[in-house]
Amino acid sequence: MKNFILISTLLFVSGCSTLVLQPTDYSWPVESVLLVNAKGDVSEERHTFETNIKPIFYEEFKDSNSVEGKEIRIIRDKAGYYYFTGAGFKNIYQFMPVENGMKLKEKISISDSLALKSPAFNQKLNNIELIDGSDKYLITGSEIARMK
Amino acid sequence: MKTKTLIYGLLFVLLNSLAVAQSDYQTVQNFKREYKKIELSIKDVSSLEEFNLIEKNIQNLKNDFASNKTLLDKTLYPENYESALEKIENLFESRKKDFSQINSLTTQVGSLQAQVQELNQNNERLIKQINDLQLQSEKDQAAITKLKGLVAQLKGSINKRDLLVRDLVDSLLVEFIKLPENFNQKEARSIVSKVNKENLFYNIERTIDDNIQFLKVTRITADDYSKIIKQHQDFNKVWKQIGPKLSSVYLTTKQKNSEISQIDSLFEEWNNRIHTSIWNGIQNLFMEKNIHLISFTDASGFITSATTFIDNEIKNIGIKNKNESEEIFHAFADSVYFNIVERKWIPLLFENNMMTQNEKGILDAKIEVWQNEIPPAFSYWAFIIGGIFILLIAVYLYQRKQKE
Repeated sequence: MKNFILISTLLFVSGCSTLVLQPTDYSWPVESVLLVNAKGDVSEERHTFETNIKPIFYEEFKDSNSVEGKEIRIIRDKAGYYYFTGAGFKNIYQFMPVENGMKLKEKISISDSLALKSPAFNQKLNNIELIDGSDKYLITGSEIARMK
Repeated sequence: MKTKTLIYGLLFVLLNSLAVAQSDYQTVQNFKREYKKIELSIKDVSSLEEFNLIEKNIQNLKNDFASNKTLLDKTLYPENYESALEKIENLFESRKKDFSQINSLTTQVGSLQAQVQELNQNNERLIKQINDLQLQSEKDQAAITKLKGLVAQLKGSINKRDLLVRDLVDSLLVEFIKLPENFNQKEARSIVSKVNKENLFYNIERTIDDNIQFLKVTRITADDYSKIIKQHQDFNKVWKQIGPKLSSVYLTTKQKNSEISQIDSLFEEWNNRIHTSIWNGIQNLFMEKNIHLISFTDASGFITSATTFIDNEIKNIGIKNKNESEEIFHAFADSVYFNIVERKWIPLLFENNMMTQNEKGILDAKIEVWQNEIPPAFSYWAFIIGGIFILLIAVYLYQRKQKE
């Protein structure tokens, strides 16, 4: 009886275990620079996704009405997180995909006083690099470090 | 000195840091922009010298972005660094090859044009001379001989000019084939300029017109017609390929479009003239034997005309002199119809769908009826009876000699 219970438990546990595909690389080789339309949507053709970024602008500038024609830069890291930023931003927004949307994981502050002038993301081995003119930052998870 | 070194050192560090702080996105965009620029310059190239510059630009693109190969391999989807460069190199080679061909064709066409112009003048002069001589030739043997010589000269000259114009049209066709289905304004302008330079519409119209004139002023044999029909068909085929394309180039130019339609009608007229000329040729063969058929321009007209003539001749049997009836029959059937028309002209008519086997059958049957109606002339019977009589006398004389 004991053996029967043990075997049944093992079978049940193995049947219920989560299927995991690893390693998976979600990284985009290069950032996408997208223009926001009147609805506040951006559409990425190569990686085929579309999302509304008005909340980011509201969060950053407390204004989501004048987004049309603005440029937003997006990149995805190896782990699958999306990073958003743009000229005039003081933060980088790290999102994770959820059902039918994206959920903010971290709002990474670059500077409290200085806004980015001409930011650009680069994909590095395990990190995302942010450059702004001659300034370079390395983003590791939710941490950002200025590089010399 | 120390200050200078320090400044240079700082500048180096600054430039170096700037170089390192390059956006990957920007690098890819730069590559794409340079690539597009080269691609456009290949398409717009207008001289062989420009190819050298483009070749240098491709080499520079390769060198400048070689260090970004890995990045470009990932980002140029569905291409990669190597395939993108290979693609532009292939485009370059193919355009260079086309351009060399077009260049040599242009030179060739230049010399063709001069020759065409010369032949146009020559043909005009010959046609005029032939027309003048036609009036004298009825009574003047020397004029007839000269006329024959001129006709042969004109035939050769027209033929030579036709081939040259065909070459001009062909060279234009080569350019059309290379054009994409929806060619742009620039490409259309290049065709228009070529058409104008070669005076294409005038030369085609002139070619057809001279051929029509030639058919009007000369008498041609059945063998010649085979060549003339083939010439018309070949030229018409090329025109049918190029005509609609020219129409799309001249979509908004009314005058040119009407010239294109005019050429279409000229081809039709040329074809009709060939047909009419063939039927006239057949009618003339009968006329030379003093057989006057009602004019005809097609097979049914020919059958009607010939059967009407035969019916009249059958009706006249017994009214006309027997010898006369028989002579007309032999002239019609033996000398003209079976000897020349059936042997030389009817195969030409069949070949060009100008007559059917059934139509020929009707005429053959009619001739047979006519033949049966003609009573053998006395002279023939007399000849046969005379022959038998002489033979009998010879046999009698021989037997008598044997007995002696």
